[in-house]
Amino acid sequence: MSVTLTRVEPSIAGVGDYIELLKPRVMSLVVFTALVGLVVAPGHVHPVIGFVALLCITVGAGAAGALNMWYDADVDARMARTAGRPIPRGRVTPGEAAGFGFTLATFAVVTLGLLVNVLSAALLAFTIFFYVAIYTMWLKRSTPQNIVIGGAAGALPPVIGWAAATGTLAVEPVLLFLIIFFWTPPHFWALSLYRSDDYARAGIPMLPVVAGAEETRRQILLYTLILAPLGAAPWLLGFAGPAYGIAAAAIGGVLIALALRVHNERQGYRASKQLFGFSILYLFLLFAMLLIDRLPGMLLGHFA
Amino acid sequence: MSLAGDIMDEQQPQQGIRLTEQQLRARRARSIAIALALGAFVIVIFAVTMVKLGSGTMSGGDTMRPVQTTK
Repeated sequence: MSVTLTRVEPSIAGVGDYIELLKPRVMSLVVFTALVGLVVAPGHVHPVIGFVALLCITVGAGAAGALNMWYDADVDARMARTAGRPIPRGRVTPGEAAGFGFTLATFAVVTLGLLVNVLSAALLAFTIFFYVAIYTMWLKRSTPQNIVIGGAAGALPPVIGWAAATGTLAVEPVLLFLIIFFWTPPHFWALSLYRSDDYARAGIPMLPVVAGAEETRRQILLYTLILAPLGAAPWLLGFAGPAYGIAAAAIGGVLIALALRVHNERQGYRASKQLFGFSILYLFLLFAMLLIDRLPGMLLGHFA
Repeated sequence: MSLAGDIMDEQQPQQGIRLTEQQLRARRARSIAIALALGAFVIVIFAVTMVKLGSGTMSGGDTMRPVQTTK
């Protein structure tokens, strides 16, 4: 951290600035994947308890986002994509962001532990720790494997959702974890291909900066080839029905086709941008289909 | 602001930081947001307490487990 903001006058930060610190777009993906983990878990959770669990997971993820922005304020200020964040813009001081993040993280973990169960709270605490200390403070600035290993933090929410519902772990949430874990590298590397100048300027050793675009395109394809079968694995292992399997295979095929186009692209970044956009839709569709797959059983269980 | 603080302000009208209109508006918005967040937290605790009392979990001893309503 080398940002030193010397503003001493009272804050003009609005509520919107603090909401921005929580990374709402990341939060929306977290709340959705956690919801799927919660819903596909066996047994029935009281809706109020389920809501509280989701709320705590969401707030915890937001807190991790605020702590990430606190620590990364210097890097954010040097990148076009992040220069408009509240700290580089001078709306919120790093100290205010850190206090906000720590407070929310503590409330989220303690509330989840007291009102839902200890396992989910421990997993949430670990996720926040992993994202802030392991990814943000350590890996992000030191290795091109930053987002591969750091992706574990983003992959944990469905596991926390499952743990909140059952108080235990199983193969199924681990599978959901693996899907997001292998989705993260092609997703971020597709973005970093056409943002590599930005990352180079900020001194972040993203794969295209360190190993070059060609190696990045190769790695994107390799991870996508692992991801597509993993996406269909819930059906192959009997956790989801054939409708899910067919749909997962279809969108997995589209993802591989796009990754191949990225692999063969020599000029411009059209395919990379398409892959980045579709990767978000892919993950959303995959989890939405799991949700839909479980809906009839859930409703039957509810009304039986 | 306490009574002592009010008296001090009257005695030294030029002292302290004067907030601009924008700063006052921002502070008020933040205060309302904090109040709403605390209110929501109270409602959450109340709702969960009702659910746990209703299911008999509180008297059962183990409050750490999720409430299972299937019988």
